[in-house]
Amino acid sequence: MGLTGFLTVSAALFTLGMVIFISRKNAIAILMGVELLLNAAALNFVAFARFTPSQASQLDGQIFAVFIVLLAAAEAVVALAIALSVYKEFHQVRADKLVSLKG
Amino acid sequence: MMGIPELFFYFFTLMVIGIGCVVAFSKNLLRSAFALFFVLFGVAGFYVLLGADFLAIVQIMVYAGGVNVLLIFGTMLTADISTPKTSNLSFQGALTVVAGVTLFVILAVIINSGNWPTYVPGEMMATTKDLGRLLLKEYVLPFEVVSFLLLASIISAIVLVQRGD
Repeated sequence: MGLTGFLTVSAALFTLGMVIFISRKNAIAILMGVELLLNAAALNFVAFARFTPSQASQLDGQIFAVFIVLLAAAEAVVALAIALSVYKEFHQVRADKLVSLKG
Repeated sequence: MMGIPELFFYFFTLMVIGIGCVVAFSKNLLRSAFALFFVLFGVAGFYVLLGADFLAIVQIMVYAGGVNVLLIFGTMLTADISTPKTSNLSFQGALTVVAGVTLFVILAVIINSGNWPTYVPGEMMATTKDLGRLLLKEYVLPFEVVSFLLLASIISAIVLVQRGD
């Protein structure tokens, strides 16, 4: 369970997120895929912070992961607000059915 | 001989990948949303194994407690729950699985063939104090920018949901 173990798990998580992101029809499911992608990236940062820390500070990678968590929270809030207002307008959130910009 | 950390590593790996497959391939959107909860818990477990105690708690509180509950609410408010079998269909499912497996094999080969200059990690220390110091000294500008971003996202969420009644 060295660095490569964590990187491989993170690559698998990234792949799962990418599969969800490109194959799902529901907008909220796509959002779940984005969360998995961001988690994979944060896991990479933390793994590198543990096994190859920067000279200046041991915790730089963890700081990046903290910012990733914050950005993911902000992104989820805005994306769900968009999904709710789209649902009000079109009564569905299927990404393949939403084709008109000004409903 | 496998130590306790290795055992936990394989346990969390199984948890993240196995339940992640449920998130990716379940036909019921609500089931995907609840499975995502366990994936996020598994990632928090990896953070503990990597000595990032503060980050593990943040992961559980913000992701599992906040973002995932928000996603479950969004699912219940928008998906057609009366037909759960078809609430979460995929487009070109088989092709994307092939693409995903290919991507994973390429990434795994690259990761395992690379010669990473690793350094033997020292003892795990509590990180909260040092993280707080870093956030208020070296990283104070990104910290302020992110807090402004959070304010902007709160306001934009309110505006987006209120509009068009």
